[in-house]
Amino acid sequence: MKRAFFALPGPLPIKVVLAIVVVAVVLVALHFIYEWMGSTLLDTGGAIE
Amino acid sequence: MTDSVTSTAAPNGSPRVGSRVRKAIRGVGWTLIGLGLFLFGFVVHQLYVTTWFAQQSNEQLTVEAQEHFASVEVTEVPYVPKEFDNGDAPPPVIDPDEPQPTLLVEEQPEISTPFAIIRIPTIDRLSEGWTVVEGTSRANLKNGAGHMPFTPLPGQPGNTVISGHRTTYGAPFHELDTLEPGDLIEVETAIGVSTYAVTGSEIVQPNELWVTEPREGAWLTLTTCHPKFSSRQRLVVFAELVEGPNYDAIFGA
Repeated sequence: MKRAFFALPGPLPIKVVLAIVVVAVVLVALHFIYEWMGSTLLDTGGAIE
Repeated sequence: MTDSVTSTAAPNGSPRVGSRVRKAIRGVGWTLIGLGLFLFGFVVHQLYVTTWFAQQSNEQLTVEAQEHFASVEVTEVPYVPKEFDNGDAPPPVIDPDEPQPTLLVEEQPEISTPFAIIRIPTIDRLSEGWTVVEGTSRANLKNGAGHMPFTPLPGQPGNTVISGHRTTYGAPFHELDTLEPGDLIEVETAIGVSTYAVTGSEIVQPNELWVTEPREGAWLTLTTCHPKFSSRQRLVVFAELVEGPNYDAIFGA
């Protein structure tokens, strides 16, 4: 983790900003993946289709 | 470290074999840890994150539904009951001298519009009410409960169908299986509060459309996933109108 952080380009403040952006993008992507998995496998909402 | 690896290597093999095996085991280990974290995140997301989002949106939608009640146009129209299973029988004769029963009818809400609030006093999470939006697409049901378009609006004659989540997005219908015949379900719309009494429930396949078909009288059909944490089947609860602004007109009291 630490190695990945220090591998980011730029000085420390830029690294911090980039790390926040990367984490945010990962979280948003996970949110959509989880939503898709949940509404497909776990609970579709109960509608008759 | 390197010495011990070299010493454990096969005499005629590469001195790197031990290190490769160790790397592979480490890789499998990290993969399993990653998979575990991914699945843990999935469970947390489904049980808590979706519920948090649904509760936030439900609070906002309840306000919008109240505004909808105040703004939507409600009209009174003559009620002519539909004939069911009467083959070639002639349509009902309307006597102009007899006072015609009238129904209170509201405008059809647009898709995604919050237009009703469902309350079930015997279910804790529904005793305060949960907003119902028009539509049962996955996007519509992110709030928790949705009215199936092309079925009558609550309080109207026919078979009103409302679907809701069982385990995620606030899980408004989580305890639908605890309903027993006689339990009351209230649905508030622009025409007023319509009260239904549960008559029974059934487990069906997700494609059993007969549960949504029109019925004589005024019915409310609630559908949700079954069993809990699976979308394999549907739990369907049937309830009949027992009180409401249109009760007298529909049942000709």
